[in-house]
Amino acid sequence: MPRLTIDDIEIEVPHGTKVIDAAERLGIMIPRFCYHRGLGSVGACRMCAVKFLQGPFKGLQMSCMIDAQDGMVISTTDAEALDFRRHVIEWLMLNHPHDCPVCDEGGHCLLQDMTVSGGHGMRRFSGEKRTYRDQYLGELVQHEMNRCIHCYRCVRFYREFAGYRDLGALQIAQKVYFGRLADGPLESPFAGNLVDLCPTGVYTDKPARFRARRWDLERGPSLCIHCSLGCNTVAGARYREVLRQEARLNEEVNGYFICDLGRYGFAYAGHPERPRSPRIGSQAVGWQEAVAVACDRLARLGPRSIACLSSARASVETLGTLKYLSKRVGSDHFVCFYDAAVKFKMGEIVSKLDGRTAVSLRDIEKADLLIGVGADPINAAPMLALAMRQAQRAGAKVVMMDPRPLFLPCDFEHLSVSPELFDVCLSALVKSTFDRERVGKHGEAAVTLYDRMLSCDPLDASVQARLEPLIAVVEGCRRPIIICGSDIAPASSVSFAADVALLMGEVKDQSGVFYVLPGANAYGAALFDAANGSSFESVVQEIEDGAIKALIVAESDPFRYVADRDRLQRALNKLELLLVLDYLPSETVRKAHIFLPTRAIFETRSSFINQEGRLQVAEKIHSPGTPIWQVSNKGHPPRLYGTGICGGEPRAAWRVLQQIAHTLVHSQNEISENDPWPVIGGECAVLARHHQHNGPLHGLRIIPQTSTAAFFDGDLDLQPKQPMDGHLTLLPVVSTFATEELASYSEIIQRVIGSPCAYLHSDDAERCGLLDCDRIRIAVDDGFLEIDLTVSDKMARGFLILPRHSRFEWQKLHCFAQGLPVEKIGNCTP
Amino acid sequence: MLKDIDEMLLTSEKKRENLIPILQRIQQRHAYLSPDAMKLVALHLGISSSEVYGVATFYNQFRFHPPGKHQIKVCLGTACHVVGGDIILENFERKLGIKDGETTPDREFSIERVACVGCCALAPVAVVDDVVQACMAPSKVEGILLGFDIERERDEREKQESEASQ
Repeated sequence: MPRLTIDDIEIEVPHGTKVIDAAERLGIMIPRFCYHRGLGSVGACRMCAVKFLQGPFKGLQMSCMIDAQDGMVISTTDAEALDFRRHVIEWLMLNHPHDCPVCDEGGHCLLQDMTVSGGHGMRRFSGEKRTYRDQYLGELVQHEMNRCIHCYRCVRFYREFAGYRDLGALQIAQKVYFGRLADGPLESPFAGNLVDLCPTGVYTDKPARFRARRWDLERGPSLCIHCSLGCNTVAGARYREVLRQEARLNEEVNGYFICDLGRYGFAYAGHPERPRSPRIGSQAVGWQEAVAVACDRLARLGPRSIACLSSARASVETLGTLKYLSKRVGSDHFVCFYDAAVKFKMGEIVSKLDGRTAVSLRDIEKADLLIGVGADPINAAPMLALAMRQAQRAGAKVVMMDPRPLFLPCDFEHLSVSPELFDVCLSALVKSTFDRERVGKHGEAAVTLYDRMLSCDPLDASVQARLEPLIAVVEGCRRPIIICGSDIAPASSVSFAADVALLMGEVKDQSGVFYVLPGANAYGAALFDAANGSSFESVVQEIEDGAIKALIVAESDPFRYVADRDRLQRALNKLELLLVLDYLPSETVRKAHIFLPTRAIFETRSSFINQEGRLQVAEKIHSPGTPIWQVSNKGHPPRLYGTGICGGEPRAAWRVLQQIAHTLVHSQNEISENDPWPVIGGECAVLARHHQHNGPLHGLRIIPQTSTAAFFDGDLDLQPKQPMDGHLTLLPVVSTFATEELASYSEIIQRVIGSPCAYLHSDDAERCGLLDCDRIRIAVDDGFLEIDLTVSDKMARGFLILPRHSRFEWQKLHCFAQGLPVEKIGNCTP
Repeated sequence: MLKDIDEMLLTSEKKRENLIPILQRIQQRHAYLSPDAMKLVALHLGISSSEVYGVATFYNQFRFHPPGKHQIKVCLGTACHVVGGDIILENFERKLGIKDGETTPDREFSIERVACVGCCALAPVAVVDDVVQACMAPSKVEGILLGFDIERERDEREKQESEASQ
């Protein structure tokens, strides 16, 4: 480890550390524009010049280009270096506009900071400034090219790091232009990172533009809860409303970046129709009355006639307290997943993820082989795709098994097989890597599984031919990771993926399984929901039978997920009490008998467990209340003075649930009014062990080191199947911006999502007499659904793939299973 | 023209490395690169059109406007720069109402700046229709353009006369 001296302070840093980073460890921030630790160094801006006094280099050098070495003595404050840097600023300011007060970046602009701190005030050059024409880059990012200082951060991120090609460096020398060929929205779902990366105001956050200065914002660490990865963000709120989100560095999870869904999806919390006061029926009432009536009605019902429903978007606090409440009132029903199959898969995942198999996004970047099993990273968990690209850039091979027409911003091998072939394909891919002796270490069951893998029948010749070269890759790799989805992948594949990861760990340096789960807190929901036999289906059944008379719904919307809405409606009508706690203006909220408003993630401290079992905390950012621009109808804030905050009634769901439990059962001894964790710990042993919710900043993994679950017991499906000719299977899948529940209440996201479309293989399309861009009609039980068709030959035959889209009633498509009458009714809507 | 480019593309391999040779061939044949031509090339090579445009605009040899009937190249090499080559360029630009790299709407003139034409002793130099104009001055700029005007008027007159005599 090299030891060097920077500004008379000695420091020892790991090999390969740049001098600029070594100085940062000492708390010395060397000015920089082009250098970014996430992107590496290029030495373009010349701003990080420091004086090397002793060692292998001498004189003025760029600190971002030189690795720290033994014996270096460096001065960052040498007169020569200071003078050099002052001149760099002066050169940059030749062309940069002097209008910080009208620039949205002003206040958090690196160039502004450097100019002011470098002391540049007088402009000596009297020539003209270079000017450009700005481009329209979509609804999310604003372009203002005159402010550019040509650090190349944007293009390095957009093209090299993220792998998208529509933004680039154009022209040469004085005219270098960063933009697209023509106006148009940026194609990358990671484009929002340009806002964070740009050291000046070339790319600014368009929805938040001119809404607030950095110092006006109440900022704090938060989390993205739009997918299961749990990326870290910094939320900034003003006037009781979150205005912008930035990426927050978490070395283990998202690194320096986040996707656009996480950055711009927050607007659900400030939705104009968000219900903000307690209601009984349609009558707004006070908290006390609402809770008293709810408790009274619940108390009148028998112990087994109450069911509790929550979802994978609810925080650990909400889930834990609801579980506690459900136990206190003697309810058998605590449901977090609408789909029994998903619930089963989640149980498998939670039991099998342990210290040996779980990997983080950072581990994915270090892998040398990634095998995807029914996972669509860009659509289900965008930041995963970015991590996969980094692995691929470092030489990893990416193999994806998926029937969908996948897109990834990197090269990959796509085996477009149907989900029922995942097991047999994965088995064929990895079986030659193992030997009986190594497998035997994991016991009888592992050997039995291994024998079944060896004896499985050969696959289709065309698939087999594509597998052959990959088998050699699997044999040669050292750090393989299996990426497994949880929506279209069958339960057997989900557990098989963990088995294979465990066996691989025996023969490889490092191995693991990375699951993509169906919600921000799906892992947490499964922790509470796992040892519980009831499903949503059985709850509806018992409501219909009259056994369940009351339903408590906490931060969940069954109307969004259930196909047969009429049946659900009839069932809810039979209830004596439908108590709903939520912060979204959902269908279920509208139907509630008693409604209690809860706080969104930005308004209360809440915890979420991501897909690798990492418990992370989002801090409270602002107090709940109607955003001022809504109160004042976009004008001046009201000139009325009162004691309360308008719309400030929402309370944290766990507080309300605890209060109800307390009132119903009268047992005060274990309830703490200010801390939900004793209650949560009581409901979930794993969380009790890790009850310190003041964990490290990068989160705390709550998975066991060695799981006690039974591995190798999955019901593997190793029979290769021939596709049935002329039969189409419907496959509803996820789509980046269009599927997610919270995003469907976010106005900005709604503006950028494309129109819904279905995908069909070109052979199937030909057979059905359909063409690309046809408008098709799909018959369902109660009518028809119309949608545009995209024909692709990069997907599996025999499937009609339908990304769930908030402008399309995909729920209805569960109503039928086969046949799938599809007919053309016209051409695409323009 | 696009059909011609399509045919030309058929004969070249779909490799990224071929981008510059393809662009050179298109420019050789059609004298400039139109936006549609660049889109075709992008489609053919499977890269984004902004990438094609980025590469093309990096090199001075590529033109993005159809050249005028009379091509004016103003030298801005070291020697010409020292004796005021930029003043000559500015004069041409002002007279014709276009910037360097552009073509007048009537497709008569186009202006380009070039690095050095190799006769620094004659600086400042402009090359007008392959004729080297030595020791340029603002008055000579006017003279050259006036010359073209007179020539055009004469051509038109002769044309009219020949039409009248028929």
